[in-house]
Amino acid sequence: MSETIWNQVKLDDEYSFELKDVNRSHFVRYAGAGGDFNPIHHDQTFAEKAGLPTVFGMGMFTAGVLGRVPSEWFGPTSIRRYSIKFTSRIWADDTILFHGRVTRIYEEDGVPHADLELKATNQKQEDLIRAEATVRDWKP
Amino acid sequence: MAQIQPPGFPIERGKIHEFANSLLDDDPLFHDLNAALAAGLPSVVAPPTFSSAAAFFPDPNVRGPSMKGLDMRFLLHGGQELIFERPIFAGDELHSEPGETKSWEKEGKRGGTMKFIENETIWRDQTGEIVLRVLNTLIQTAGVVKES
Repeated sequence: MSETIWNQVKLDDEYSFELKDVNRSHFVRYAGAGGDFNPIHHDQTFAEKAGLPTVFGMGMFTAGVLGRVPSEWFGPTSIRRYSIKFTSRIWADDTILFHGRVTRIYEEDGVPHADLELKATNQKQEDLIRAEATVRDWKP
Repeated sequence: MAQIQPPGFPIERGKIHEFANSLLDDDPLFHDLNAALAAGLPSVVAPPTFSSAAAFFPDPNVRGPSMKGLDMRFLLHGGQELIFERPIFAGDELHSEPGETKSWEKEGKRGGTMKFIENETIWRDQTGEIVLRVLNTLIQTAGVVKES
């Protein structure tokens, strides 16, 4: 895919996928894999004491899944830059749309590059993350 | 939790597999050594946000000062910027060093006064080359952030 993507990509091309029925197991599995054991993300009692109705997910879980947009689209070795701003939190039972759009295509030192605008949006049309990425045709 | 911390951040195939699993990512280049070798890569690739897993190898010089004195109940992650010089592969041995730390305050609507803390972490590989810079922003709020 990544061999041919650079011949095909056009401005405003889009790529998206959905994650349905987010649940606590997603957060706990990410805690185990990523090492974020802040109890606010897995401990209901702690969350309630902090005045929250329930635990919420790690921003870096959502950011990690959003990172699949540039990675699946342009290949996992293509990432030059990935910049994330968190604007809202992820909760169990959310359905999240992960979306990317090409905003610029250019060459730098003879290497094809593209800038992408990325976002993760929940079922209430709230953006959880607004992000940008730069991808390039990286060769080993 | 054990208190002993090994030096550095060894990039391991098993950890990459587990991390990619937690992101529900099926790309063979994260999971399958043969697929990675067939693609001309030295080993499986680390997903873009894999440096988060360095939480298991906390360098006291990098993470210590930034977390001290923060109230975990009211701590939010504001954002992160990752700048890669090259992809990270299993077999890499990364070491971190602290870059600049900045902090500033801002009045928020939903959680009172917000204190922003931005840390830079520079990751070098086994040859001393910079492979990744991470700018991480934490937000300490005065109280619980209400849903809008």
